[in-house]
Amino acid sequence: MRALVIDDSRTMRRIIVGVLRSLGFDTLEAGDGREALDVLESGIPVDLACIDWNMPVMNGLEFVLAVRENRAWRGLTLMMVTTESEHNQIVRALAAGAHEYVIKPFTPDAIRDKLQLLGLVELEESA
Amino acid sequence: MSTAIDMSLFGGADPIFTIADEVFSAMIDGEPGLLSEWFGEAPAIADPMYAWVDVDGVAPGRVLLSTERETALQITRALLEMGPDEVVGDADFVDALGEVANVVGGNVKALVPDPGALTLPQVTHERPPTSPENLLHELALAWRGRLLVISLWSLP
Amino acid sequence: MTLAPDSFSFVADLVRRRSAIQLEAGKEYLVESRLLPLARAAGTVDIDAYIRTMRASAAPAVLEAVVEALTTNETSWFRDAQPFATLTEHVVPELLAGRLGGGPLRIWSAACSTGQEPYSIAMTLADLVPGGRLKIHATDLNQQVLARARAGRYSQLEVNRGLPVTMLVKHFARIGVDWEVAAPLRAAVTFAQHNLLDVPPMGGPFDVVFLRNVLIYFDLATKRDVLRRVQRVVRPGGYLLLGAAETTIGIDDDWERVTVGRGSVYRLNVRRAA
Repeated sequence: MRALVIDDSRTMRRIIVGVLRSLGFDTLEAGDGREALDVLESGIPVDLACIDWNMPVMNGLEFVLAVRENRAWRGLTLMMVTTESEHNQIVRALAAGAHEYVIKPFTPDAIRDKLQLLGLVELEESA
Repeated sequence: MSTAIDMSLFGGADPIFTIADEVFSAMIDGEPGLLSEWFGEAPAIADPMYAWVDVDGVAPGRVLLSTERETALQITRALLEMGPDEVVGDADFVDALGEVANVVGGNVKALVPDPGALTLPQVTHERPPTSPENLLHELALAWRGRLLVISLWSLP
Repeated sequence: MTLAPDSFSFVADLVRRRSAIQLEAGKEYLVESRLLPLARAAGTVDIDAYIRTMRASAAPAVLEAVVEALTTNETSWFRDAQPFATLTEHVVPELLAGRLGGGPLRIWSAACSTGQEPYSIAMTLADLVPGGRLKIHATDLNQQVLARARAGRYSQLEVNRGLPVTMLVKHFARIGVDWEVAAPLRAAVTFAQHNLLDVPPMGGPFDVVFLRNVLIYFDLATKRDVLRRVQRVVRPGGYLLLGAAETTIGIDDDWERVTVGRGSVYRLNVRRAA
Protein backbone atom coordinates (compact mmCIF):
# COMPACT_ATOMS: atom_id res chain seq x y z
CA MET A 1 0.00 0.00 0.00
CA ARG A 2 1.31 3.44 -0.88
CA ALA A 3 0.23 6.73 0.63
CA LEU A 4 0.82 10.30 -0.53
CA VAL A 5 1.07 12.81 2.32
CA ILE A 6 0.21 16.34 1.23
CA ASP A 7 0.87 19.18 3.69
CA ASP A 8 2.87 22.39 3.47
CA SER A 9 4.33 21.73 6.93
CA ARG A 10 7.33 19.45 6.88
CA THR A 11 6.70 18.74 10.55
CA MET A 12 3.18 17.54 9.91
CA ARG A 13 4.26 15.43 6.94
CA ARG A 14 6.89 13.81 9.09
CA ILE A 15 4.37 12.97 11.81
CA ILE A 16 1.81 11.51 9.40
CA VAL A 17 4.48 9.58 7.47
CA GLY A 18 5.64 8.10 10.77
CA VAL A 19 2.15 6.86 11.60
CA LEU A 20 1.55 5.47 8.11
CA ARG A 21 4.91 3.69 7.98
CA SER A 22 4.17 2.04 11.31
CA LEU A 23 0.94 0.78 9.73
CA GLY A 24 2.90 -0.74 6.84
CA PHE A 25 2.50 1.91 4.15
CA ASP A 26 5.13 3.08 1.72
CA THR A 27 4.97 6.86 1.61
CA LEU A 28 5.49 9.78 -0.73
CA GLU A 29 5.24 13.47 0.13
CA ALA A 30 4.11 16.70 -1.49
CA GLY A 31 4.07 20.27 -0.16
CA ASP A 32 0.95 21.43 -1.97
CA GLY A 33 -1.85 20.23 -4.23
CA ARG A 34 0.04 20.97 -7.43
CA GLU A 35 3.07 18.92 -6.38
CA ALA A 36 0.72 16.14 -5.37
CA LEU A 37 -0.95 16.11 -8.78
CA ASP A 38 2.52 15.93 -10.34
CA VAL A 39 3.20 12.79 -8.30
CA LEU A 40 -0.07 11.21 -9.43
CA GLU A 41 0.49 12.24 -13.04
CA SER A 42 3.92 10.56 -13.02
CA GLY A 43 2.03 7.26 -12.89
CA ILE A 44 3.18 5.95 -9.52
CA PRO A 45 0.27 3.96 -8.10
CA VAL A 46 -1.06 5.55 -4.92
CA ASP A 47 -3.78 4.03 -2.73
CA LEU A 48 -4.29 6.77 -0.14
CA ALA A 49 -3.82 10.53 -0.05
CA CYS A 50 -3.70 12.36 3.30
CA ILE A 51 -4.51 15.94 2.47
CA ASP A 52 -4.10 19.18 4.38
CA TRP A 53 -6.56 21.91 3.47
CA ASN A 54 -4.67 25.20 3.71
CA MET A 55 -1.64 25.10 1.41
CA PRO A 56 -0.14 27.57 -1.03
CA VAL A 57 -0.39 27.17 -4.85
CA MET A 58 -3.22 24.63 -4.72
CA ASN A 59 -5.11 23.88 -1.52
CA GLY A 60 -6.51 20.55 -0.38
CA LEU A 61 -10.05 21.17 -1.50
CA GLU A 62 -8.88 22.08 -5.01
CA PHE A 63 -6.73 18.93 -5.05
CA VAL A 64 -9.72 16.76 -4.11
CA LEU A 65 -11.83 18.32 -6.87
CA ALA A 66 -9.04 17.76 -9.41
CA VAL A 67 -8.61 14.11 -8.42
CA ARG A 68 -12.31 13.38 -8.60
CA GLU A 69 -12.49 14.80 -12.10
CA ASN A 70 -9.95 12.29 -13.37
CA ARG A 71 -11.17 8.75 -14.00
CA ALA A 72 -7.62 7.43 -13.82
CA TRP A 73 -7.56 8.13 -10.10
CA ARG A 74 -10.96 6.68 -9.27
CA GLY A 75 -9.47 4.13 -6.86
CA LEU A 76 -7.56 6.70 -4.80
CA THR A 77 -8.86 7.09 -1.25
CA LEU A 78 -8.92 10.73 -0.21
CA MET A 79 -8.61 11.56 3.50
CA MET A 80 -8.43 15.16 4.70
CA VAL A 81 -6.12 15.80 7.66
CA THR A 82 -6.71 19.39 8.60
CA THR A 83 -7.43 22.02 11.23
CA GLU A 84 -10.58 23.07 9.37
CA SER A 85 -13.18 21.77 11.80
CA GLU A 86 -16.36 23.73 11.22
CA HIS A 87 -19.34 21.60 10.30
CA ASN A 88 -19.86 23.35 6.97
CA GLN A 89 -16.20 22.94 6.01
CA ILE A 90 -16.41 19.19 6.55
CA VAL A 91 -19.58 19.07 4.44
CA ARG A 92 -17.77 21.02 1.68
CA ALA A 93 -14.91 18.51 1.67
CA LEU A 94 -17.29 15.56 1.47
CA ALA A 95 -19.25 17.25 -1.31
CA ALA A 96 -16.00 17.76 -3.23
CA GLY A 97 -15.35 14.03 -2.97
CA ALA A 98 -13.22 13.41 0.11
CA HIS A 99 -13.84 9.98 1.63
CA GLU A 100 -12.75 10.63 5.20
CA TYR A 101 -11.69 13.45 7.46
CA VAL A 102 -9.30 13.72 10.42
CA ILE A 103 -9.31 16.91 12.47
CA LYS A 104 -5.96 18.18 13.82
CA PRO A 105 -4.79 17.57 16.51
CA PHE A 106 -4.96 13.81 16.07
CA THR A 107 -3.42 10.79 17.73
CA PRO A 108 -1.85 7.91 15.78
CA ASP A 109 -4.81 5.77 16.92
CA ALA A 110 -7.21 8.17 15.22
CA ILE A 111 -5.46 7.70 11.87
CA ARG A 112 -5.43 3.94 12.33
CA ASP A 113 -9.15 3.91 13.23
CA LYS A 114 -10.04 5.86 10.08
CA LEU A 115 -7.91 3.61 7.88
CA GLN A 116 -9.65 0.57 9.37
CA LEU A 117 -13.02 2.14 8.50
CA LEU A 118 -11.74 2.60 4.96
CA GLY A 119 -10.59 -1.01 4.78
CA LEU A 120 -6.96 0.01 4.24
CA VAL A 121 -5.74 -1.47 7.50
CA GLU A 122 -6.65 -4.85 8.97
CA LEU A 123 -8.78 -4.86 12.11
CA GLU A 124 -6.98 -6.13 15.18
CA GLU A 125 -8.54 -7.85 18.15
CA SER A 126 -9.58 -5.15 20.57
CA ALA A 127 -9.02 -5.38 24.35
CA MET B 1 -12.53 37.26 14.69
CA SER B 2 -15.65 39.38 14.76
CA THR B 3 -16.35 39.47 18.47
CA ALA B 4 -14.49 38.38 21.52
CA ILE B 5 -15.21 34.78 22.25
CA ASP B 6 -18.02 34.59 24.78
CA MET B 7 -16.37 32.63 27.58
CA SER B 8 -19.67 32.13 29.36
CA LEU B 9 -20.59 29.59 26.69
CA PHE B 10 -17.98 27.18 27.95
CA GLY B 11 -19.21 26.60 31.48
CA GLY B 12 -16.11 27.83 33.25
CA ALA B 13 -13.56 25.87 31.21
CA ASP B 14 -11.33 28.12 29.12
CA PRO B 15 -11.74 26.80 25.56
CA ILE B 16 -8.26 28.02 24.65
CA PHE B 17 -6.90 25.81 27.41
CA THR B 18 -8.93 22.87 26.11
CA ILE B 19 -7.57 23.39 22.62
CA ALA B 20 -3.97 23.72 23.80
CA ASP B 21 -4.40 20.69 26.05
CA GLU B 22 -5.63 18.58 23.14
CA VAL B 23 -2.81 19.69 20.85
CA PHE B 24 -0.16 18.96 23.44
CA SER B 25 -1.59 15.69 24.74
CA ALA B 26 -2.36 14.28 21.27
CA MET B 27 0.68 15.35 19.31
CA ILE B 28 3.46 16.63 21.55
CA ASP B 29 3.39 14.69 24.77
CA GLY B 30 1.41 11.61 23.71
CA GLU B 31 -0.45 11.75 27.00
CA PRO B 32 -2.48 14.30 28.93
CA GLY B 33 -1.38 16.02 32.12
CA LEU B 34 1.80 17.88 31.15
CA LEU B 35 0.04 21.16 30.39
CA SER B 36 -1.64 23.29 33.02
CA GLU B 37 -2.57 26.89 33.58
CA TRP B 38 0.33 28.98 34.87
CA PHE B 39 -0.04 29.52 38.59
CA GLY B 40 0.41 33.13 39.65
CA GLU B 41 1.99 36.02 37.79
CA ALA B 42 3.66 34.97 34.54
CA PRO B 43 7.28 36.18 34.30
CA ALA B 44 8.65 38.18 31.38
CA ILE B 45 10.13 36.07 28.60
CA ALA B 46 13.88 36.62 28.45
CA ASP B 47 14.73 35.08 25.04
CA PRO B 48 11.40 35.06 23.22
CA MET B 49 10.10 33.19 20.20
CA TYR B 50 6.78 34.13 18.64
CA ALA B 51 4.59 32.05 16.36
CA TRP B 52 1.24 33.20 15.04
CA VAL B 53 -1.51 32.77 12.49
CA ASP B 54 -4.06 35.35 11.45
CA VAL B 55 -7.71 34.77 10.70
CA ASP B 56 -8.87 36.84 7.71
CA GLY B 57 -12.37 38.06 7.14
CA VAL B 58 -14.79 40.72 8.20
CA ALA B 59 -13.06 41.28 11.55
CA PRO B 60 -9.57 39.81 11.36
CA GLY B 61 -7.73 38.46 14.36
CA ARG B 62 -4.46 36.88 15.43
CA VAL B 63 -3.60 33.84 17.51
CA LEU B 64 -0.14 34.38 19.00
CA LEU B 65 2.07 31.91 20.83
CA SER B 66 4.88 33.42 22.92
CA THR B 67 7.52 31.41 24.71
CA GLU B 68 11.21 31.11 25.57
CA ARG B 69 13.40 29.97 22.70
CA GLU B 70 14.55 27.03 24.81
CA THR B 71 10.94 25.96 25.41
CA ALA B 72 10.22 26.23 21.70
CA LEU B 73 13.19 23.94 21.06
CA GLN B 74 11.85 21.40 23.54
CA ILE B 75 8.43 21.53 21.92
CA THR B 76 10.08 20.88 18.55
CA ARG B 77 12.01 17.92 19.92
CA ALA B 78 8.85 16.45 21.43
CA LEU B 79 6.78 17.02 18.30
CA LEU B 80 9.39 15.44 16.04
CA GLU B 81 10.27 12.73 18.57
CA MET B 82 13.91 13.77 18.51
CA GLY B 83 16.45 12.49 20.99
CA PRO B 84 18.08 14.90 23.45
CA ASP B 85 21.33 14.79 21.49
CA GLU B 86 19.85 15.40 18.06
CA VAL B 87 20.48 18.86 16.66
CA VAL B 88 17.36 20.83 15.87
CA GLY B 89 17.85 22.58 12.53
CA ASP B 90 16.50 26.11 12.14
CA ALA B 91 14.15 25.10 9.34
CA ASP B 92 12.71 22.24 11.43
CA PHE B 93 12.35 24.55 14.40
CA VAL B 94 10.49 27.27 12.50
CA ASP B 95 8.27 24.73 10.76
CA ALA B 96 7.41 22.86 13.96
CA LEU B 97 6.56 25.93 15.97
CA GLY B 98 4.58 27.35 13.07
CA GLU B 99 2.61 24.14 12.85
CA VAL B 100 1.72 24.29 16.55
CA ALA B 101 0.46 27.85 15.99
CA ASN B 102 -1.43 26.62 12.92
CA VAL B 103 -3.22 23.81 14.76
CA VAL B 104 -4.05 25.96 17.79
CA GLY B 105 -5.15 28.84 15.56
CA GLY B 106 -7.27 26.60 13.36
CA ASN B 107 -9.19 25.34 16.35
CA VAL B 108 -9.60 28.82 17.83
CA LYS B 109 -10.97 29.95 14.48
CA ALA B 110 -13.76 27.38 14.80
CA LEU B 111 -14.98 29.04 18.00
CA VAL B 112 -15.97 32.34 16.40
CA PRO B 113 -18.95 33.07 14.18
CA ASP B 114 -18.17 33.55 10.47
CA PRO B 115 -14.42 33.00 10.55
CA GLY B 116 -12.39 33.79 7.46
CA ALA B 117 -9.38 31.94 6.14
CA LEU B 118 -6.33 31.09 8.18
CA THR B 119 -3.02 32.61 7.03
CA LEU B 120 0.19 30.64 6.87
CA PRO B 121 2.04 30.67 10.18
CA GLN B 122 4.89 33.05 10.93
CA VAL B 123 7.70 32.49 13.41
CA THR B 124 10.03 35.29 14.59
CA HIS B 125 12.21 36.57 17.41
CA GLU B 126 10.55 39.98 17.33
CA ARG B 127 7.11 40.34 18.77
CA PRO B 128 4.59 41.22 16.04
CA PRO B 129 3.16 44.69 16.58
CA THR B 130 0.17 44.58 18.93
CA SER B 131 -1.73 47.26 20.86
CA PRO B 132 -3.01 46.50 24.36
CA GLU B 133 -6.51 47.69 23.47
CA ASN B 134 -6.71 44.93 20.85
CA LEU B 135 -6.08 42.11 23.30
CA LEU B 136 -9.12 39.79 23.39
CA HIS B 137 -7.86 37.00 25.61
CA GLU B 138 -4.59 35.86 27.15
CA LEU B 139 -3.76 32.52 28.68
CA ALA B 140 -0.47 31.70 30.42
CA LEU B 141 0.32 28.01 30.44
CA ALA B 142 2.89 25.77 32.07
CA TRP B 143 4.18 22.99 29.84
CA ARG B 144 6.46 20.72 31.80
CA GLY B 145 6.88 23.71 34.09
CA ARG B 146 7.87 26.07 31.26
CA LEU B 147 5.93 29.19 30.32
CA LEU B 148 3.89 29.33 27.13
CA VAL B 149 1.49 32.22 26.50
CA ILE B 150 -1.38 32.07 24.02
CA SER B 151 -2.99 35.42 23.25
CA LEU B 152 -5.82 36.43 20.95
CA TRP B 153 -5.87 39.85 19.30
CA SER B 154 -8.24 41.72 17.06
CA LEU B 155 -6.43 43.23 14.09
CA PRO B 156 -7.11 46.80 12.99
CA MET C 1 7.81 3.54 40.51
CA THR C 2 6.86 -0.03 41.31
CA LEU C 3 3.81 -0.74 43.34
CA ALA C 4 4.33 -2.77 46.51
CA PRO C 5 2.71 -6.23 46.20
CA ASP C 6 0.41 -5.73 49.16
CA SER C 7 -0.71 -2.32 47.77
CA PHE C 8 -1.61 -3.99 44.52
CA SER C 9 -3.43 -6.88 46.17
CA PHE C 10 -5.39 -4.52 48.41
CA VAL C 11 -6.58 -2.53 45.39
CA ALA C 12 -7.26 -5.65 43.32
CA ASP C 13 -9.28 -7.11 46.18
CA LEU C 14 -11.25 -3.89 46.64
CA VAL C 15 -12.05 -3.65 42.96
CA ARG C 16 -13.09 -7.30 42.78
CA ARG C 17 -15.39 -7.00 45.77
CA ARG C 18 -17.08 -3.85 44.46
CA SER C 19 -17.33 -4.70 40.78
CA ALA C 20 -16.24 -8.32 40.26
CA ILE C 21 -13.57 -7.01 37.91
CA GLN C 22 -10.33 -9.02 38.18
CA LEU C 23 -7.02 -7.19 38.11
CA GLU C 24 -4.50 -9.96 37.60
CA ALA C 25 -0.77 -9.78 38.18
CA GLY C 26 0.79 -7.75 35.40
CA LYS C 27 -1.78 -4.99 35.73
CA GLU C 28 0.29 -3.05 38.27
CA TYR C 29 1.02 -0.39 35.64
CA LEU C 30 -2.71 0.15 35.20
CA VAL C 31 -3.23 0.68 38.91
CA GLU C 32 -0.31 3.11 39.03
CA SER C 33 -1.44 5.18 36.08
CA ARG C 34 -5.12 5.24 37.04
CA LEU C 35 -4.46 6.15 40.67
CA LEU C 36 -1.80 8.76 40.05
CA PRO C 37 -4.32 11.57 39.36
CA LEU C 38 -6.17 10.70 42.57
CA ALA C 39 -2.94 10.55 44.54
CA ARG C 40 -1.82 13.90 43.13
CA ALA C 41 -5.16 15.41 44.09
CA ALA C 42 -4.55 14.10 47.60
CA GLY C 43 -1.13 15.76 47.68
CA THR C 44 1.29 12.96 46.88
CA VAL C 45 2.81 11.17 43.89
CA ASP C 46 3.66 8.13 45.99
CA ILE C 47 0.99 5.59 45.09
CA ASP C 48 1.94 3.20 47.92
CA ALA C 49 1.59 6.04 50.41
CA TYR C 50 -1.75 7.00 48.90
CA ILE C 51 -3.01 3.42 49.15
CA ARG C 52 -1.75 3.11 52.75
CA THR C 53 -3.66 6.28 53.66
CA MET C 54 -6.74 4.98 51.90
CA ARG C 55 -6.59 1.66 53.76
CA ALA C 56 -6.16 3.39 57.11
CA SER C 57 -8.96 5.90 56.70
CA ALA C 58 -11.31 3.60 54.75
CA ALA C 59 -13.31 6.70 53.76
CA PRO C 60 -16.19 5.44 51.57
CA ALA C 61 -15.87 8.27 49.05
CA VAL C 62 -12.17 7.57 48.56
CA LEU C 63 -12.69 3.85 48.12
CA GLU C 64 -15.48 4.55 45.63
CA ALA C 65 -13.25 6.94 43.66
CA VAL C 66 -10.51 4.33 43.47
CA VAL C 67 -12.91 1.68 42.18
CA GLU C 68 -14.26 4.16 39.62
CA ALA C 69 -10.76 5.09 38.43
CA LEU C 70 -9.97 1.45 37.78
CA THR C 71 -13.21 0.47 36.08
CA THR C 72 -13.36 3.02 33.25
CA ASN C 73 -12.18 2.16 29.74
CA GLU C 74 -11.35 4.09 26.63
CA THR C 75 -13.89 3.56 23.91
CA SER C 76 -14.12 4.41 20.28
CA TRP C 77 -17.15 4.65 18.01
CA PHE C 78 -18.36 1.58 16.12
CA ARG C 79 -15.79 -0.49 17.96
CA ASP C 80 -14.65 -3.43 15.82
CA ALA C 81 -17.12 -2.42 13.07
CA GLN C 82 -18.47 -5.98 12.48
CA PRO C 83 -21.16 -5.97 15.21
CA PHE C 84 -22.78 -2.88 13.75
CA ALA C 85 -22.80 -4.33 10.25
CA THR C 86 -24.25 -7.52 11.76
CA LEU C 87 -26.99 -5.46 13.33
CA THR C 88 -28.12 -3.87 10.06
CA GLU C 89 -27.54 -6.81 7.75
CA HIS C 90 -28.71 -9.73 9.83
CA VAL C 91 -30.09 -9.19 13.30
CA VAL C 92 -32.46 -6.24 12.95
CA PRO C 93 -34.08 -7.25 9.63
CA GLU C 94 -34.82 -10.66 11.15
CA LEU C 95 -36.24 -9.18 14.35
CA LEU C 96 -38.38 -6.63 12.49
CA ALA C 97 -39.71 -9.28 10.10
CA GLY C 98 -40.83 -11.45 13.00
CA ARG C 99 -42.56 -8.60 14.68
CA LEU C 100 -45.67 -7.75 12.66
CA GLY C 101 -46.57 -4.37 14.12
CA GLY C 102 -45.42 -5.20 17.60
CA GLY C 103 -43.76 -2.82 20.02
CA PRO C 104 -40.44 -1.05 19.69
CA LEU C 105 -37.14 -2.79 19.18
CA ARG C 106 -35.39 -2.81 22.56
CA ILE C 107 -31.63 -2.90 22.76
CA TRP C 108 -29.54 -2.99 25.93
CA SER C 109 -26.01 -1.59 25.84
CA ALA C 110 -24.47 -2.97 29.02
CA ALA C 111 -21.25 -1.32 30.26
CA CYS C 112 -21.88 1.59 27.92
CA SER C 113 -19.10 3.76 29.39
CA THR C 114 -19.14 7.31 27.99
CA GLY C 115 -21.86 6.46 25.51
CA GLN C 116 -20.05 5.78 22.25
CA GLU C 117 -21.58 2.32 21.97
CA PRO C 118 -25.28 3.16 22.43
CA TYR C 119 -25.00 6.24 20.22
CA SER C 120 -23.20 4.15 17.59
CA ILE C 121 -26.08 1.68 17.72
CA ALA C 122 -28.55 4.55 17.33
CA MET C 123 -26.63 5.96 14.34
CA THR C 124 -26.39 2.54 12.73
CA LEU C 125 -30.13 1.99 12.99
CA ALA C 126 -31.28 5.56 12.32
CA ASP C 127 -32.26 4.79 8.75
CA LEU C 128 -33.38 1.21 9.28
CA VAL C 129 -35.74 1.57 12.22
CA PRO C 130 -38.29 4.39 12.25
CA GLY C 131 -37.97 6.91 15.05
CA GLY C 132 -39.99 5.94 18.07
CA ARG C 133 -39.69 2.24 17.22
CA LEU C 134 -36.20 2.03 18.66
CA LYS C 135 -35.45 2.12 22.35
CA ILE C 136 -31.86 1.79 23.49
CA HIS C 137 -31.21 1.35 27.19
CA ALA C 138 -27.62 1.98 28.18
CA THR C 139 -26.17 1.09 31.56
CA ASP C 140 -22.87 1.29 33.38
CA LEU C 141 -21.58 0.88 36.91
CA ASN C 142 -19.78 4.22 36.84
CA GLN C 143 -21.76 7.43 37.51
CA GLN C 144 -19.16 9.74 36.03
CA VAL C 145 -19.13 8.11 32.62
CA LEU C 146 -22.92 7.96 32.63
CA ALA C 147 -23.09 11.71 33.20
CA ARG C 148 -20.80 12.22 30.22
CA ALA C 149 -22.85 9.81 28.13
CA ARG C 150 -26.10 11.56 28.97
CA ALA C 151 -24.62 14.91 27.99
CA GLY C 152 -23.65 13.45 24.61
CA ARG C 153 -20.81 15.95 24.25
CA TYR C 154 -17.46 14.81 22.98
CA SER C 155 -14.12 16.45 22.36
CA GLN C 156 -12.47 16.77 18.99
CA LEU C 157 -10.06 13.98 19.96
CA GLU C 158 -12.93 11.69 20.91
CA VAL C 159 -14.86 12.18 17.66
CA ASN C 160 -11.70 11.39 15.69
CA ARG C 161 -11.82 7.82 17.06
CA GLY C 162 -13.50 5.48 14.62
CA LEU C 163 -16.48 7.68 13.81
CA PRO C 164 -17.15 7.79 10.06
CA VAL C 165 -17.16 11.41 8.98
CA THR C 166 -20.53 10.98 7.26
CA MET C 167 -21.97 10.06 10.67
CA LEU C 168 -20.26 13.04 12.27
CA VAL C 169 -21.82 15.58 9.94
CA LYS C 170 -25.20 13.92 10.03
CA HIS C 171 -25.61 13.30 13.74
CA PHE C 172 -23.45 15.87 15.53
CA ALA C 173 -23.38 19.63 15.92
CA ARG C 174 -20.33 21.67 16.80
CA ILE C 175 -20.69 23.32 20.21
CA GLY C 176 -17.66 25.45 21.08
CA VAL C 177 -14.66 23.12 21.19
CA ASP C 178 -16.88 20.03 21.38
CA TRP C 179 -19.28 18.01 19.25
CA GLU C 180 -22.72 17.18 20.56
CA VAL C 181 -24.99 14.33 19.57
CA ALA C 182 -28.13 15.65 17.86
CA ALA C 183 -31.40 15.62 19.76
CA PRO C 184 -33.23 12.89 17.78
CA LEU C 185 -30.41 10.46 18.47
CA ARG C 186 -30.25 11.36 22.15
CA ALA C 187 -33.98 10.82 22.39
CA ALA C 188 -33.51 7.18 21.39
CA VAL C 189 -31.19 6.37 24.31
CA THR C 190 -31.84 6.24 28.06
CA PHE C 191 -29.04 5.88 30.58
CA ALA C 192 -29.04 4.32 34.04
CA GLN C 193 -26.57 3.05 36.56
CA HIS C 194 -26.52 -0.70 36.80
CA ASN C 195 -24.36 -3.42 38.30
CA LEU C 196 -24.28 -6.58 36.18
CA LEU C 197 -24.33 -8.65 39.34
CA ASP C 198 -27.60 -7.14 40.47
CA VAL C 199 -31.19 -7.66 39.44
CA PRO C 200 -31.43 -7.00 35.68
CA PRO C 201 -32.34 -3.47 34.63
CA MET C 202 -35.72 -2.10 33.63
CA GLY C 203 -36.46 -1.40 29.99
CA GLY C 204 -36.70 -5.03 28.89
CA PRO C 205 -37.36 -7.60 27.70
CA PHE C 206 -34.66 -6.87 25.20
CA ASP C 207 -34.31 -8.00 21.61
CA VAL C 208 -30.57 -7.39 21.50
CA VAL C 209 -27.95 -7.06 24.22
CA PHE C 210 -24.49 -5.59 23.68
CA LEU C 211 -22.19 -6.94 26.37
CA ARG C 212 -18.87 -6.22 24.78
CA ASN C 213 -15.47 -6.47 26.41
CA VAL C 214 -16.91 -6.80 29.89
CA LEU C 215 -16.86 -10.55 30.55
CA ILE C 216 -13.10 -10.64 29.93
CA TYR C 217 -12.61 -8.95 33.27
CA PHE C 218 -14.52 -11.61 35.19
CA ASP C 219 -13.68 -15.13 36.32
CA LEU C 220 -15.66 -18.07 34.98
CA ALA C 221 -18.17 -18.27 37.83
CA THR C 222 -18.94 -14.58 37.52
CA LYS C 223 -19.24 -14.82 33.74
CA ARG C 224 -21.89 -17.51 34.23
CA ASP C 225 -23.68 -15.43 36.81
CA VAL C 226 -23.75 -12.35 34.58
CA LEU C 227 -24.99 -14.31 31.56
CA ARG C 228 -27.76 -15.95 33.63
CA ARG C 229 -28.97 -12.55 34.74
CA VAL C 230 -28.78 -11.16 31.21
CA GLN C 231 -30.75 -14.10 29.90
CA ARG C 232 -33.67 -13.27 32.17
CA VAL C 233 -34.32 -10.03 30.28
CA VAL C 234 -33.75 -11.26 26.73
CA ARG C 235 -36.62 -12.42 24.53
CA PRO C 236 -36.42 -16.00 23.28
CA GLY C 237 -34.63 -15.76 19.96
CA GLY C 238 -33.06 -12.49 21.04
CA TYR C 239 -29.41 -11.73 20.36
CA LEU C 240 -26.30 -11.23 22.46
CA LEU C 241 -23.29 -9.43 20.99
CA LEU C 242 -19.96 -9.94 22.75
CA GLY C 243 -16.48 -8.54 22.21
CA ALA C 244 -14.34 -9.85 19.38
CA ALA C 245 -12.37 -12.20 21.63
CA GLU C 246 -15.30 -13.40 23.74
CA THR C 247 -17.71 -16.32 23.55
CA THR C 248 -20.48 -18.02 25.53
CA ILE C 249 -19.15 -21.43 24.53
CA GLY C 250 -18.07 -23.32 27.62
CA ILE C 251 -19.85 -20.82 29.83
CA ASP C 252 -23.56 -20.98 29.05
CA ASP C 253 -25.31 -23.55 26.84
CA ASP C 254 -28.50 -21.61 26.37
CA TRP C 255 -27.03 -19.47 23.62
CA GLU C 256 -26.60 -20.68 20.07
CA ARG C 257 -23.62 -19.30 18.18
CA VAL C 258 -24.47 -17.85 14.77
CA THR C 259 -21.59 -16.98 12.48
CA VAL C 260 -22.06 -13.69 10.68
CA GLY C 261 -19.31 -12.38 8.44
CA ARG C 262 -16.06 -12.43 10.35
CA GLY C 263 -17.70 -12.64 13.74
CA SER C 264 -20.34 -14.38 15.77
CA VAL C 265 -23.50 -13.43 17.54
CA TYR C 266 -25.36 -15.48 20.11
CA ARG C 267 -29.07 -16.19 19.88
CA LEU C 268 -30.99 -17.17 22.96
CA ASN C 269 -32.20 -20.69 22.47
CA VAL C 270 -35.99 -20.67 22.44
CA ARG C 271 -36.22 -24.12 24.05
CA ARG C 272 -34.15 -23.22 27.08
CA ALA C 273 -34.36 -25.06 30.38
CA ALA C 274 -36.71 -23.41 32.88
